[in-house]
Amino acid sequence: MIPPPPLAYLRTRPMLATGLAILAGFVLLAVLAPWVAPHDPIAHDVGPKLLAPSWAHPFGTDNFGRDVLSRVIWGARIDLQIAVIGVVFPFLIGTFIGTLAGFFGGWVDVVFMRLIDVVLAFPFLVLMLSIITILGPGLGSFYIAMALVGWVSYARLIRAQILVLKTQDFAVAAESLGFSRLRIMFRHLLPNALAGSLVFVMSDAVLVLLNGAAISYLGLGVQPPLAEWGIMVAEAQGFITQAWWITLFPGLAIVTLAFGFSLTGDALADVMGVRE
Amino acid sequence: MTAQLAIDALSVVFRNGAEERALLHAITLDLQKGEILGLVGESGSGKSLLCRTVIGLLPSKALTVTAGRVLLDGADILNAPMGGIRGRRIGMIFQNPTSHLDPVMTIGRQIAEGLIHHKRLGKAAARTEAVDLLRQVGFPDPARAHDSFAHEFSGGMRQRAMIAVALACDPEILIADEPTTALDVTIQAQILRLLIQLRDERGLSIILITHDLGVVAQTCDRIAVMRHGRIVEQGEKRALLADPQHDYTKTLIASHPSLAHGKEVDVPPPSADPVFQIDNLEVAFPMSGGFLSKARSFRALKGLSLRVWPGETLGIVGESGSGKSTLARAMLGLTRATAGEISFDGQSLTRDREKTLKHLRANAAMVFQDPFNALNPRMTIAETLAEVLQTQGKTPRDHIPARIGELLDLVGLDRTFASRRPRSLSGGQCQRAGIARALAVNPRVIIADECVAALDVTIQAQIVDLFRDLIARTGLTLVFIAHDLAIVRNLCARVVVMHHGEIVEDGPSARIFARPERPYTAALIAAIPDINPDRPLNGGIIPNQQEKVT
Repeated sequence: MIPPPPLAYLRTRPMLATGLAILAGFVLLAVLAPWVAPHDPIAHDVGPKLLAPSWAHPFGTDNFGRDVLSRVIWGARIDLQIAVIGVVFPFLIGTFIGTLAGFFGGWVDVVFMRLIDVVLAFPFLVLMLSIITILGPGLGSFYIAMALVGWVSYARLIRAQILVLKTQDFAVAAESLGFSRLRIMFRHLLPNALAGSLVFVMSDAVLVLLNGAAISYLGLGVQPPLAEWGIMVAEAQGFITQAWWITLFPGLAIVTLAFGFSLTGDALADVMGVRE
Repeated sequence: MTAQLAIDALSVVFRNGAEERALLHAITLDLQKGEILGLVGESGSGKSLLCRTVIGLLPSKALTVTAGRVLLDGADILNAPMGGIRGRRIGMIFQNPTSHLDPVMTIGRQIAEGLIHHKRLGKAAARTEAVDLLRQVGFPDPARAHDSFAHEFSGGMRQRAMIAVALACDPEILIADEPTTALDVTIQAQILRLLIQLRDERGLSIILITHDLGVVAQTCDRIAVMRHGRIVEQGEKRALLADPQHDYTKTLIASHPSLAHGKEVDVPPPSADPVFQIDNLEVAFPMSGGFLSKARSFRALKGLSLRVWPGETLGIVGESGSGKSTLARAMLGLTRATAGEISFDGQSLTRDREKTLKHLRANAAMVFQDPFNALNPRMTIAETLAEVLQTQGKTPRDHIPARIGELLDLVGLDRTFASRRPRSLSGGQCQRAGIARALAVNPRVIIADECVAALDVTIQAQIVDLFRDLIARTGLTLVFIAHDLAIVRNLCARVVVMHHGEIVEDGPSARIFARPERPYTAALIAAIPDINPDRPLNGGIIPNQQEKVT
């Protein structure tokens, strides 16, 4: 939706620039992991066990003698994937349903809104956990659970926007010119309703990322020995007093990536708010 | 005699990084005690900015005063603390009372707030004073109005309430920013008379910002004309109107719709079959009754019958809430009729809806009020027009770009506008694009709903000329809906006057404007502010005027 802003524009918006720089940094790290990471993230005993940060192993090693830096770098792949996939599907489903509910109103609206009420009636994490338990642990189950639970916020956001937009003159004009309903919904209303949800996508990515980490921490998401930040923190819990570096660095990575999403989201809200 | 408020060579600059633009250029302006000064100009001329600068409410941090002084009774207030001046000595009222009144606070409390804060009155004393103020601004039952909320009043009454709030602290100067633009003519006349009365009773000095020279001519003592952040001309009202010096003032006066500059158009005899045939049309909207209470409905149109003949230019006038827009929407099948009959080209929209709608969509188009809102903000003008041409399917695909060019020529837009989005166009340009979109249907009928109401006077005149030109060239049937009678008189051969969902009067416009048969029509016509200051504002009193909505 937003054309890539030129560098000169970014200079006037330091928040957006910082946020995007952090995100871009993590994407680069994830893509270049095989070349950037000094060691195999899964290989045991690349150094002595529980070695404190040093020149050879800047982030130290864990209880299996794995290089923490390499694991954090490879973990970027999985955590970015969690943040993106965990947001994209709820976004698509929610946007679609919200558009239909808002545009048609009547019983379509009633059915979807009650469905949303039902989903919202359960505590978020409990619902997630039960779905994952039924489907069996793993990232796939996590994505399915996210899609099943997360769409409600998007549906409500978009529906509210469509309700406002459909009474505006340009929507009435579209109808008076004989355009089809599909065209009015997806060509005229939806593009104008998206701004708010796109901002929400960014803040939602933070939540999803933390969720993914929490689910992995509980042993229901990513399975060992795969490198993922949440699970790294979980596994290293027992060593926190003697080897703080195993938990600190993946934790920092989570915080930094979340910070990047947050900054971008806030800055986008500013930019779009101005444009609205 | 020194001026009560003197603005001396005031300049305001907009700065954003390296970009720097002067918005006000060395404005010098005086306001004498007890005087009403009219500040006239189009949107973007800087008239509102000037007044906000005076009371120290610059709307953005990017704006700075670079030069000049503002003297209130000889003391510079530009750099003085505003607390004791804003509200206390200079009051302000705005165009849209709805958004400037607090929706969850009673009118009385909003007035009392100022009394308690500035005058240090006790609660009981503030109440007495507030009720008295409400009586002064013309509330028939001030005690009840005191405890009512803004939404319980009509637009005109809300504007009165806002004036009462502004008057609460007994200011010496009142700045009124387009106070009547959003109101119907008859209500406008009442508010303007109220302002004059307040000036006479309280010795208030008023700066009246408006785009309508008629309003100024009726109320003000002196006029200052602004354009592009400069005062191009100022002087005593009569002298200035009679003998304008600046070209822009001349254009402004010439384009005022109360001066009929169009030729008298003959009403074509109803030879062929009517395009639209409407019989006993009723449209009712459900108003949700409360829980367990009976569902009620609001009847926007109450058994209305109308014929629209091919090739005619029909004006539909009436105040807000009279049902004009509902009628337009019902005619285009955008709102369903509750009862009665609408036929287009002899096909019934009420009985054979789908088939008639198809025919209607290919032959009739609508032009909307708010030019910015009526175009999809995310599509370029070319995309908007191409979409219509494709949907209509009358133009071969490879002819579409050429046709877009033709349409832009037809509405007087440069072809380079094709690649632009509504946001980068002015209101007038947007409205032209909206008309081009209607023309893309290649319609025989265009229904224009208040399509010039949101535009500046000179732009209004241009759009009206454009319609006149299109009618002459294409033999279009035009249904022109407006609350502004002067424009309708200029453009339309036949006029229909609507009131409370019914047609009050229907006839040739020359006859209706010269000899209205109904008192309602007469009151409407009398309320139009004439640009001639010697033709007094005597309208605004309408039989059975319902002011308070209950």
